[in-house]
Amino acid sequence: MATTIAEIQKEKQVGKRLRRREDPRLITGTATYVDDIQMEGMQYAAILRSPHAAAKIRSIDTKLAEKAPGVIAVYTGKDTEKVGAVPCGASLPGLRVPHHNILAVNRVYFVGHPVAVVVAQNRYLAQDAADLIEVDYEPTAAVAEPEKALASGAPAVHPEWPDNVAFTYHQDGGDVDKAFAQAEVIIKQRITSQRLIPMAMETRGVVAEFRAADRQLNLYTSTQIPHLVRTLVASMLSLDENRVRVITPEVGGGFGSKLNVYAEEALMGFLAQKTGKPVKWIESRRENFLCTIHGRGHVDYYELAAKRDGTILGIKLKIIQDVGSYLQLLTAAIPTLSVLMMPGIYNIPSIRADIVGVFTNCMPTDAYRGAGRPEATHGIERMVDILADELNIDPAEIRLKNFVANDKFPYATATGLMYDSGNYAAPLKKALDMVHYKKLRQEQAEARKQGKWLGIGISTYGEICAIGPSPATPAGGWESATVKVEPSGKVTIMTGACPHGQGEETTFAQIAADELGVSVDDVLVVWGDTAVVQYGIGTFGSRGTAIGGTAVYYALQDLKEKIRKFGAVLLEDDDVALADGKVTSKKTGQSKSVPEIAAAAYRAMKLPPNTEPGLVSTHFWEPPNFTFPFGTHIVVTEIDGETGDIKIRRYVAVDDCGNQINPLIVAGQVHGGVAQGLGQSLWEQAVYDDSGQLLTGELTDYAVPRAHMMPWIEAEHTTTPSPVNPLGVKGVGEAGTIGCSPAVVNSVVDALSPLGVRHIDMPLTPEKIWKLLRKGA
Amino acid sequence: MKISGSYTLAVPQEQAYKMMQDPEVLARAMPGCETLEKIGENEYRMKMKMVLASLSGVFDGKVRIADQNPPESFRLIVEGSGRPGFIKGDGLLKLSPSATGGTDVAYDGDVQVGGTIAAVGQRLLDGTAKILIKKFFEKLTAHAA
Amino acid sequence: MIPQKFEYTAPDSLKSVLQLLETGAKPLAGGMSLIPMMKLRLATPEHLVDLGKLKELNYIRESGNAVHIGAMSTHFDIETSPVLLRKCPLLAETAADIGDLQVRNRGTIGGSAAHADPSADYPAALQALEARFVLIGADRERTVSGAEFFADAFTTALEPGEIVREVIVPIEEPGTGVAYEKVVQPASGFAIVGIAVRIRRSAGKITFARIGVTGLSNHAYRATAAEAALAGKSGSAADVQSAAALVTQGADANSDLHASADYRKHLAVVHAARAIATALSRSA
Repeated sequence: MATTIAEIQKEKQVGKRLRRREDPRLITGTATYVDDIQMEGMQYAAILRSPHAAAKIRSIDTKLAEKAPGVIAVYTGKDTEKVGAVPCGASLPGLRVPHHNILAVNRVYFVGHPVAVVVAQNRYLAQDAADLIEVDYEPTAAVAEPEKALASGAPAVHPEWPDNVAFTYHQDGGDVDKAFAQAEVIIKQRITSQRLIPMAMETRGVVAEFRAADRQLNLYTSTQIPHLVRTLVASMLSLDENRVRVITPEVGGGFGSKLNVYAEEALMGFLAQKTGKPVKWIESRRENFLCTIHGRGHVDYYELAAKRDGTILGIKLKIIQDVGSYLQLLTAAIPTLSVLMMPGIYNIPSIRADIVGVFTNCMPTDAYRGAGRPEATHGIERMVDILADELNIDPAEIRLKNFVANDKFPYATATGLMYDSGNYAAPLKKALDMVHYKKLRQEQAEARKQGKWLGIGISTYGEICAIGPSPATPAGGWESATVKVEPSGKVTIMTGACPHGQGEETTFAQIAADELGVSVDDVLVVWGDTAVVQYGIGTFGSRGTAIGGTAVYYALQDLKEKIRKFGAVLLEDDDVALADGKVTSKKTGQSKSVPEIAAAAYRAMKLPPNTEPGLVSTHFWEPPNFTFPFGTHIVVTEIDGETGDIKIRRYVAVDDCGNQINPLIVAGQVHGGVAQGLGQSLWEQAVYDDSGQLLTGELTDYAVPRAHMMPWIEAEHTTTPSPVNPLGVKGVGEAGTIGCSPAVVNSVVDALSPLGVRHIDMPLTPEKIWKLLRKGA
Repeated sequence: MKISGSYTLAVPQEQAYKMMQDPEVLARAMPGCETLEKIGENEYRMKMKMVLASLSGVFDGKVRIADQNPPESFRLIVEGSGRPGFIKGDGLLKLSPSATGGTDVAYDGDVQVGGTIAAVGQRLLDGTAKILIKKFFEKLTAHAA
Repeated sequence: MIPQKFEYTAPDSLKSVLQLLETGAKPLAGGMSLIPMMKLRLATPEHLVDLGKLKELNYIRESGNAVHIGAMSTHFDIETSPVLLRKCPLLAETAADIGDLQVRNRGTIGGSAAHADPSADYPAALQALEARFVLIGADRERTVSGAEFFADAFTTALEPGEIVREVIVPIEEPGTGVAYEKVVQPASGFAIVGIAVRIRRSAGKITFARIGVTGLSNHAYRATAAEAALAGKSGSAADVQSAAALVTQGADANSDLHASADYRKHLAVVHAARAIATALSRSA
C-alpha cells in the first residue's frame, strides 16, 4: 500500500468513523469459522443428551451404535470419568461446587445433559448411531424455578445438598439500619430479570487434532478466551499446557456465552486423543438452546429508604439467582456484580445485599451481555421510578437530585467501588432536550384526556467496565499486547484480547497508526492463536479497548522509544523527534521514515547503546481500577388500549463511554446492545416447565429480535474521559443492553400509571399489558 | 399442560365404562396404537405410531388404568417414549348419564411432554391434544355403534 | 439439525410425481415447515419428491370469473402478481404478511395449504374467498371447497397420494373492499390470529360479507355469524363492533405460550373489527 507520509499527516485516525476493516470478509461469507476447518481423515462427533431434567441412569446400551455404519468409537460417562471436571472459576466462601463430569455419570441434572458421544465418518452417520444408543433412565422429580427450589420439600437437584443452595453472599455498606430507621418513605418491590438465551448467530463448535508423536493437542474452538481455554482444557486432559494450542478462528457472536470452558471442548480433545483422528463437533441450534449457558435468572426483592424530598438513603436487596444445575466458569460471580452495581449512579450511602444462589434442573446461567449489571440497573432504575411515583416527583428531577455530583469524583460507593469520573446530568439533559421533555409531558397529559396511553421512560444507567483489576477477577484482569514493526515497516499487533464483533481489528490499528504515524492499512491485528500470541485474558466485560487497547498503547510507547533510538543513530543526532511516521533530527532537519528505521533495526549494522536488534515490544497492562461509563436512555411508547400492543415511538440513547476511538463502532455497539435490551424487555424468555423441559427450545418459540422489529435508535453521546487509562476510554460493549430495559419498562409503566400500575416484569408481552388494561378498566 | 373437556358417547353408562376398560377396545380407540399387550393387572404395554402433519414417531409405552370406581370414574395413565421424546398423560375420566340417554364423559388431566417435541411442539400441543382426544372418542363411538 | 438419510427426486413432470407419491414418497413443496422438522428428525420421510421443477404447477392466470393459481406459486409470486393485485387483492395482501422474505421466496401456496398449519396466514383469506382446491392423484382429480379442505389442525381433505394442483379464487366484483389483519407471533412469524375480510355495499347497505379466521382454533373457518350480522347493515361503527363480537362464535380457541385462549379470542374480535372497518373503507 503506497501511502505517503504526507497523506498520513493529514489527520488523526483516533476519533474517525472508519468502517470496520473486518467487515468485507464477514459480509461476503469468506471468513473462516470453526465449521470451515477441514482436515484429512476428520471424524464427526454427535452427542446424545438427556431428554429428562432429572433422572438416574440405570444403564446405557451402546452395542447397536458401535456396530452402526461409519462409527469408529462410542463413549459414555464411565469412559470419561478421569477427565477433569468442567471448571468453576468463581470462588465465594462456602460455595458448593458439584463435580461436573464432561459426560453424565449415574445421573442427569438437566435436559440436554450430555450422556454419550459417537464418533463417525460424517455427522449424519454419527447422529444415526447416536439414535441407536439406548439409555434406561429412572426419572426423578425435578425443579425448574429458583423460588420453588428453595421451598421446603422441593426436589433436591443435587441429592447431597437438599436445600438447593449453591452459595450465599452478604455485603453491607454504610449504615443501612439507620437509613431505614430515618426513612420517611420505604418502597418495596419484587423485580425479576428473566432467564435469557444468548443466541450467538454462530453456535459453538470445536475441532480437535492430537499429534501423538509431539503429544500436542490443537484445539479450534469458538471462544472469547482462548488462553484460559488452553490452561483449563490442558488441566482437564492432564496435558502440558505448552503442548495445547488453542486456535480461535472467526467467532460469530459470543455475548458472554463463549466466555466459558465447556464439556465439549475437553471432550473433543479426549476423542482426538483416543481415536487418533481429528474430530469435529458443531453445536446444533437445538443444542445451543439447551447446553450453552443462559443469562440473567434473577428474582430480586428490593427495599428502598428515602426522605419525602426524594433523597435516597439506602437500599436493601435480596437476590435469588437461578444458578441452574452446575456452576460454569463464572456462574457464581455474576450476581456479585449486581451487588457492586446496585446503587447505580446515585449517591446512596447505605446498602445491604444478600444473594442466594439456587440450584435448579436447568442449564447453568452465566455471563450474558451486561452480566449482573443489567439486573442491578433494571432494579435501581425501576425503584427510582416507583419512588418518584410515590412522592409525585418528576422522574428526571428525582434522578438529578440523587446523582453523584460532578465534584465528588473519584467517588467511593457504599458497595466498595471507586467511580472514576462522571458527569451524570449531561447525558440526561441532552436526552431530555432531544425528546423535548416538557412538551412531551404536555402531550402525554392531553393524550390521557383522550384515553390514549403514552409513556415516557427514563433510565440513567451506570456500569462497571474494563473488567477488571486482577484482584477483582478470578483469572487475572490485565491484558497483553505485543507490537512489532516488521523489517518492511509494516506493523503487527498481537493482542491477548479476542475480538468477536467489537471491531478491534480497526480500533487498535487506529491507535497504532496515530502513535507511529503509519497508515491504518499498514497495521495488522492478530489474536486468537495461543501458539502465536502471548498469553492473554480475552474479550468480555467491555474490556477490549480499555484494557487491551491500553496494553497496545503502552507497547507502542516502548516501541517509539526504540524507534527514536535507532533514528538517532541513523541521523547521528541525539536530539530527535518522532512524529508523522518519521524521526527527525532537530539539528539538521533530516529525517528517517519508520520503514527505513525498521530495516536498520533488523539489519543491526549499528545498534544504539544498550539496545537489542529488532522492533518488538510486549506489554502486560494491569488496570488500577474499573472504568464507569454511564448514560441516559429515553423511550417513548404508545400502547394500543385494545390489544396491549406496545409501539416504541422514540428511542433516544445518550451514552458516555469516555473518549471514542471510532464513533461508528461505538454507535454499532450501542445499536446491538439496545437490540438485545429490547429483546429482554419485550420478547425473550427462556421458559422451563415444572418438569424442567425447555419449552422455548427453538426459534419458533423463543423470540429473538430481528431487524424489522427494531425502532429507529437515535444514538448520541457526551464525553467524560476516564482517568484510569491514557486513552481516556471506558468501554461500550454492554452499555446498550444495560441502559435499555429499565427505560422500556419505565415507559410502559408510565403509560399505564393512571391505572395504578407500578411494576411489570419482563418481557412486556401484549397479553400482560392487556390483562392490566382489562383489570384497570 | 392441563387438558379438560367432555364428550358424549351414545351408549349407556355401564356399557361405556366397560368399553373403556376393555384392552381390545382401547387398542382400537387409542390414536396410532399398533399393539397393546397385557403386562399386569390393568396394565398394558403399547406401541404407538403418531403421525401429525409432517411429524411422525414411534413410541413405546404403557397404559395403566387405576382408581376404578365403576361405572363412575377411573384414571387413565399413558406413558410413551421414542426418538422424538416422551409423553406422559394422567387423566381422570368421570362418567355420568347424558340427557339423551348416552353417557357424558368428562376428562381432566395433565399432559407432560419431554425431549425434542417439548421444545419445538409448544405451538402445536394444545391443538394436537384436542385432535387426539377427539379421535379417541370418535373411535369409541364407532365401536359402540 | 441433521436429517436422517432420505432419497430425493425432483421430476419435471406431474405424472412422474404422482407415480412416486403412489409409492409412499412425500411431496416437498417449498419445505418451509417440512425441512426444519426433518432437521430435528421429527419428520423422517424416506423419499422426498420435490415439486419445485414442475413448471405446470407454477402459474397464476385469469380464467372466466376466477383466478387459477398453480400450487407451486410462491408467496412472493402471489404477493407481487399483477393479476392478483388487481383481481383478488386479498390473497396478495395476505401473502405479503407471511413470515419473512426468505420464507416468501421459498414457500408455496400449495405447500402451505396442504400442511394446514392452524396458524398459517393463507387459510383465513382462502376461507373468506371461498376458494376451491383442485386435488390430483395418480388416477383422479377432484375439486373441494375450503370448508371441506381444512378439516383440522394439519389435517386436510388430501388422501394419500394426492397433492394440491391448483387453488381457485374468485375475481372480486368492482367495489369490493378487502383487508387482512394479523397479530404476529414474534418468534415464528405465524399468526396468533389472522382475519381476512371481503365486503361489498350497494345503496349504503352491506350486500356481501365474507370473514375468514385463522390462528384462533385448530383450523381456519368462515365466521358466518359475523357475516350474517353485517348483511343489510350500513356499516356503522356499532354495526362493525357487534358483528366482530361474533367472529369467535363456535370456535374452540387454542392456548399456547404466546397467547391464552381468552386473549386469542379477544384479539380475534378486535382485529375483526379493524379488518371489517378497513375493508369497508376500501369498498365502493
